[in-house]
Amino acid sequence: MSRYDLNVTLYRLKKDAAFRARFQADPAAVLADLDLTAEEREAFVRWDARRLNELGGSLHLLVSIPRLGAH
Amino acid sequence: MGRIVYAAAMSHVLYPDYYEKNVGPHGRRMVEELIEVVRAMGRTLLAARPDALVVVADDHLNVFSFDAVPALCVRIGRSVPRMVQADAIEFDQALDGLPDRYPLHEDLANRLLEEGIESGFDLAASWSAPLDHAFLSPVATLCGDRPVPPLVPFWVNCFLAPQPTARRCFAAGQLIARVVAEGPWQVALVATGGLSHFPELSLARLGTSDPAFDRRLLRALEAGDPGPLQALTAKELHETGSHELLNWMVLIGAVAPARARVRFFGEMGRIDLAAVEWAVA
Repeated sequence: MSRYDLNVTLYRLKKDAAFRARFQADPAAVLADLDLTAEEREAFVRWDARRLNELGGSLHLLVSIPRLGAH
Repeated sequence: MGRIVYAAAMSHVLYPDYYEKNVGPHGRRMVEELIEVVRAMGRTLLAARPDALVVVADDHLNVFSFDAVPALCVRIGRSVPRMVQADAIEFDQALDGLPDRYPLHEDLANRLLEEGIESGFDLAASWSAPLDHAFLSPVATLCGDRPVPPLVPFWVNCFLAPQPTARRCFAAGQLIARVVAEGPWQVALVATGGLSHFPELSLARLGTSDPAFDRRLLRALEAGDPGPLQALTAKELHETGSHELLNWMVLIGAVAPARARVRFFGEMGRIDLAAVEWAVA
């Protein structure tokens, strides 16, 4: 059920500025305790928005995360 | 006896800067033309002196998060705040200059919930959901600096599968029409969003739309023929980027078989923009 966790993580990146700052500083550390697949984790760390979208990440979240939004 | 005194639907990102940035100067020009049309529509809406303005729109994963995703939701309470978000992207930044709160038409919202339950519509209710651009961009453009009528915000889950069906949204519109007819209020009805954009909700297809689908849609609306629209499947809506047509389907159900007048249609590439009025008065 990691698609849920993937989207909840995207949602937190959009809404939670402190979480977003920690993610930008050290993404692997922030994601360590989350229930993500290795593929999802890697896409987050590389910030590969297209891959995250292919893995089930919401387009609307991916385009609207401050400073990370993909257009 | 109540009645629907005005009905219209329109695209809901009415921000020239957004399209300038993401599409270029022709995007800015096109949305500026649309904004002028929507302002003129707003003058007609307010001249009808509605007691309430029902706005049917969707959540962009701004409000309901993943704790619970209502298929259809009515906002109740006395007033509603606009969404505030630090570092918001363009189209939610543009809410910054708008009023902090808007009045709600509590009696109509409660009647919708109660009548909905009685007739088999288990509508969700929210006391706390704020309004994002899907509601406030059209409302602010329609009303300008004039007072906004008391609102009844009505959410449709357009983006998180499984969404309500087009047929179910149409039936929800029929419920709204019935409640209005049985009540004492003069009601304006606005649906927002669309037209085709974000096909398959795929980043790889960002920048494309389906104008052929939208031209067929507008012809069906002009003909007052909602039958084929009710039969649209989730797959068709998804592939054509017509997710937000579900908002329109609620309005179409409320006004059928009224014929639509297309006030604006523009093919931008990234999205097709439209503004449509129905002959309800």
